[in-house]
Amino acid sequence: MIPDQLFLDRVERIKRTIAFENDRATTCYTGVATPAEHMGVKMADFVSNSDLNLDTTLAYINELNEIAPIDCLNIGAGGNKINVILTMIWLSKVKMPGRELPENSLWQIEEKKVLKDEDYDLAIEQGYDALVQKILPQVLDMGELQEFMEYAQKNGQKNAEKVIANIYPSVNSNNASPPFEILCGARSMSQFFMDCYKIPDKVKAAQDAIFPGVLENMVATTRQTNGMGSWVGGWRGASALVSPKIWDELVWPYMYKMGMTLLENGITPTFHLDQNWDRDIERFLELPEKKFILNTDSMTDLRRARKLLGEHAAFMGDVPPQLLATGTPQQVTDYVNRLLDDIGTKGVFITAGCDAPGNAKFENMAAMFKAAYEYN
Amino acid sequence: MSIAEMLANLEDEAVMAEVKKQISDGVEPMKIFEACQEGMNIVGKKFQDGEYFVSDLMMSSAIFKDVSDVIKPLLGTEGEATIGKVVLGTVEGDIHDIGKDLVHAMLSAGNFEVIDVGIDAPVDSFVNALKENPDAKVLALSCLLTTCYDSLKATVEAVKEAGLTDVKIIIGGGPVDQSVVDFSGADTYGETAQDAVFIAKELM
Ligand code: B12
Repeated sequence: MIPDQLFLDRVERIKRTIAFENDRATTCYTGVATPAEHMGVKMADFVSNSDLNLDTTLAYINELNEIAPIDCLNIGAGGNKINVILTMIWLSKVKMPGRELPENSLWQIEEKKVLKDEDYDLAIEQGYDALVQKILPQVLDMGELQEFMEYAQKNGQKNAEKVIANIYPSVNSNNASPPFEILCGARSMSQFFMDCYKIPDKVKAAQDAIFPGVLENMVATTRQTNGMGSWVGGWRGASALVSPKIWDELVWPYMYKMGMTLLENGITPTFHLDQNWDRDIERFLELPEKKFILNTDSMTDLRRARKLLGEHAAFMGDVPPQLLATGTPQQVTDYVNRLLDDIGTKGVFITAGCDAPGNAKFENMAAMFKAAYEYN
Repeated sequence: MSIAEMLANLEDEAVMAEVKKQISDGVEPMKIFEACQEGMNIVGKKFQDGEYFVSDLMMSSAIFKDVSDVIKPLLGTEGEATIGKVVLGTVEGDIHDIGKDLVHAMLSAGNFEVIDVGIDAPVDSFVNALKENPDAKVLALSCLLTTCYDSLKATVEAVKEAGLTDVKIIIGGGPVDQSVVDFSGADTYGETAQDAVFIAKELM
């Protein structure tokens, strides 16, 4: 299919924003669960019916786009089973509305100690695939995975074209999880953090052993989905959550290498950073300038980050999820205006911090994009 | 190095070895326990000063729990003399437990007895725990999800409706601030696990 000229312009806009050549703040949609309530779709149906999920999400974004142009999507427009994706990132079980949970509740990641002591040795001796094969059946119904793959095979192309036909390019098409995050999800955060103190050498050996598989998978999946970019996730590895020693040895070297590997393959890395990364934010200067995005959730101080990083990294963020849920449109507008006053519009994508929550109000989402679009 | 310093430095094996040595040397168990509490206070301070991070707090709690398991049985009736009881839990719909567990550890280190009703805790479980422990005068609620503000409010209301009006309610967790206190009808909020101890002491 030949994309609309506006689509191509928007793709250009993404590239210019990363290069700090954009003329205004770029608007970027995220909100995996946000469309359901506003569009009157039951959460249980929204998450279990992939076609409905994609159509509802696009209809919701189109409504926003009427109010202020939505220049791009952070990470697609849905059309996938969220539990399968989340399980693949963290190797944790995900409880679903309408199945393990009430019909209108949000899905829940269930962190349990699935990865046993001896599984570290399995990872060290046999690598990524062996570990995934051992853990995955414990946290995901393999029939569901099969269905997921078949659906993607059959509808992947069609769904991608649908999003293009709605004129929304996506900055990222893949969500890659560093070894620290994978092991943390499978081991549970409390247990894994203890391991980082008590058996750091073993944790490092396991991370090193699964890393080649992680890198390979990251590049292959981004290619398969024809993406321009991939997330490199930073959730439990946040500076606020781990000690400097853990961060320096078990978090950063892997995130850095994932970023560099993506760049070598012509893919833009978006570091998706939840929680506060202030302590270590300068380390991102180690990556080449104007080639990547920091996607923060409002806990990291972007004003300070801009001072320290200058025009080295584009920012994507960071309207607080709680403000979108409980604030007023005026408060959201003020937040966006103040942020842009302080960090400028060059190299800036305005979006919700982390992910707009399920109960974000439509008028707040609209106010966020309108404020970003009209700011000058 | 003292037990308190070892604990503050998160030297798990050294702390345990020293605790066991002092026990066999006949040092009074209460003295050893107080040294551990002192260590936890230092950890709390370091956290508040930005020198320690969440993982350090978690490590210190794990060490404290391990040594408490060794010392507590030796304390006898003296060990039961805590300064008060606190009922603690993460509200219904929310399964985040890291922060709650840290509050639990800090309160225990601060000499409170903690009745922990767990995560995703139904309103009734808080009310029942308070009824079963009429001497518990503080209820501490953890909540990290904006979508669970309603659960916070429902819990506060249920406690009041049950006639437990002399129970003081403290809330905390990621997004909780004064506006959430106003919304939920709780008495006050704390920003850190250490705050939970200060506030509970004040409310006692
Ligand atoms: C780890 C984590 C998880 C883990 C939880 C593991 C576990 N065992 O707890 C998992 C993966 C399971 C998880 C699941 C989810 N999470 Co989560 N999670 C986080 C994360 C990264 C860290 C939370 C944490 O442990 N922090 C460290 C602790 C120590 O901090 P704390 O709890 O705030 O506690 C401190 C103080 O607040 C205080 N404190 C805590 N409680 C109390 C109580 C009192 C009385 C007092 C005085 C003090 C106090 O003491 C602590 C130390 O000082 C945050 C990111 C973030 N920005 O914080 C998201 C975050 C909290 N999660 C979020 C979301 C949306 C979810 C999910 C809904 C995602 C999903 N759709 O599955 C589910 C929720 C499931 C559910 N029903 O609860 C959002 C919440 C947004 C919002 N405000 O509504 C956050 C903020 C991420 C984001 N930016 O969007 N999550």
